[in-house]
Amino acid sequence: MAVVPGANLARFRGQGVWLLLGVVAGIAALSAPAFAEWGNLSNVLRQASVLGLLAIGQTFVVAAGMIDLSVGLNAGLVVVLACSMSADGWSMLSVTLAMLMLAMTVGLLNGLLVTQLGVDSLIATFGMLSILQGTIFTITDRSVGSAGEALKWLADADIHGLPVSAIFLAAVAAIAHLVFARTRFGHHLLAVGGNVDAARRVGIPVVRIRNGCFLMAGLFAGAGGLLLAGRLGTGYPLAGVGLELDSIVAVVLGGTALAGGRGSVIRSLAGVLVLVIVSNAMNLLGISAFVQTFVKGLIVMLAILANRGSVRYR
Amino acid sequence: MSIGDEAGRGRVARWLSSRAIFVVLGLLLLVAALVSDAFLQLRYLFNMVRQISPIGIAAIGVTWVMILGGVDLSVGAVISLSAVLCAVIMDGSTANIVPAVLVACASGTAIGLLNGMAITFGRVSPFIQTLGMGVAVIGLTQMYSGGTARGTVAPGFREWLNIRWFGIAPGLALAFILLAMLGIVLQNRTVFGRYLYLAGSNPRAAYHSGLPVAPIAIAAYAISGFFGALGGIALLARSGVSSTSAGQGLEFQVLAAVVLGGTTFAGGRGGVGGTVAGVMVLVVAFNLVNMSGLPYHVQLIVMGLIIIGASAVYSRLGARG
Repeated sequence: MAVVPGANLARFRGQGVWLLLGVVAGIAALSAPAFAEWGNLSNVLRQASVLGLLAIGQTFVVAAGMIDLSVGLNAGLVVVLACSMSADGWSMLSVTLAMLMLAMTVGLLNGLLVTQLGVDSLIATFGMLSILQGTIFTITDRSVGSAGEALKWLADADIHGLPVSAIFLAAVAAIAHLVFARTRFGHHLLAVGGNVDAARRVGIPVVRIRNGCFLMAGLFAGAGGLLLAGRLGTGYPLAGVGLELDSIVAVVLGGTALAGGRGSVIRSLAGVLVLVIVSNAMNLLGISAFVQTFVKGLIVMLAILANRGSVRYR
Repeated sequence: MSIGDEAGRGRVARWLSSRAIFVVLGLLLLVAALVSDAFLQLRYLFNMVRQISPIGIAAIGVTWVMILGGVDLSVGAVISLSAVLCAVIMDGSTANIVPAVLVACASGTAIGLLNGMAITFGRVSPFIQTLGMGVAVIGLTQMYSGGTARGTVAPGFREWLNIRWFGIAPGLALAFILLAMLGIVLQNRTVFGRYLYLAGSNPRAAYHSGLPVAPIAIAAYAISGFFGALGGIALLARSGVSSTSAGQGLEFQVLAAVVLGGTTFAGGRGGVGGTVAGVMVLVVAFNLVNMSGLPYHVQLIVMGLIIIGASAVYSRLGARG
């Protein structure tokens, strides 16, 4: 790598999300006094946990130079099935295992479409999104079943004032961060995202890495779906709609280039917090959902500006 | 195997990859005709064209953006905005039809222009730019309309676009066919069209050969916004009600049609002709699902399978050709 003036700045590249998080939290605390109360803050953490899980999985896929549009509805399918299975009397353990297996199967299918059939990840996962949506609506068009007590506990309970879901997310995120930053898999996926041809030539098993990334996205979508089921308490068929975009926005806010090759699980979570804090503060201020949608669009544009100058997607 | 043989196979593969969608459409129509002879009636066929015309019209513009190697995900939001604007300005009066249509088209074009400038001058990823723009435009549309269906369609507007001209073809179907023909001419017979393919297949080479790459890209996104607005007007004419979520998710059907038609995400390939065939494949498949008595939502599954299947086939052909 050539030494260029300003190379030191590269270290700060993508770190802008911390600044953004500080600014957003500051504005929220100043404009809505209720924001900084502990009850509300723990609510923010609870709200962030579902999206946080999805964003972790998305980080793996995006850092490897691909994209997964199916994570939201993958989680949505888990919500519907987990609730109807629980209502049918399945044990919590079997529901959890079955749902994680299902979500990982969907993820692996995405991976196989990309690696074996040569379909662009955007198209493959977009097709999968459509298939999942159709499947969910074919199963039910209204809320079904009810989440088991264990899932509700995971989503809503507190331990010593800390939300269980936030503790769960922190633990999972720590493991995911280690996998991403400290394992061979993590290094290889960044290499694949940075330059596929170079990665292939140095002998990195590109196909296996890509499949692994989609498998991770599926696993985290499954976990996010289970948590979401606990939060909602019932199998709402539209539960996962739009979460895929939020997860991508969070990942991009966190400085993971859509072109692949860099990224960070922790910064993606900071991106999630930015999104959740903004929506929480606007709810406290009584701003209408329509304005919120508009503001979300503006935040995406902000993320774009922050990532400006990086290589464009494809 | 001789070299000539290889070249010949390459040519066959390339010919196939550019025509495959027409073969698929022919086969699908054949199957459809076996299922029901309704598909053999001109009236029914034109009805399908009318049904899909909002998506078809929007897909024409998106095709060009994708030939350039970009993508436009804001088109669904533009369709919604245009339909709402058009209905509100029309306000039930025939005299307002022209200004309503003009304002809708201008706003769509302006959104496309913004996309194009951000992508070319800001070097922003087209995917994220148009995604964010889409979300912002949906928010604007909801703020403007208050989230409910607002505005009234003027008398004459719907009639004019839905009446069967020459006793057979609905106005909307005719409009789609005319716009598609215009698109094909623009793409094959003008300098703009030629530049589009050149800039799409190799942007750097195009730039160094002195092609006005930036203006071409901006124009393509502006045109995509313009056709999106026309799609919104067509949607309003078809349904008569301007709901704020009318265009939501339509960008996916538009993308599906374009990709089916052989215009890949890599750019430099495909065209409006293929897109029109892709649009028809979608609508025939949807109608087949309907006729076979399957629930509506199975359409989504079929659409997903078609998108993935078509992309897999194209990628195979592309790798060989």
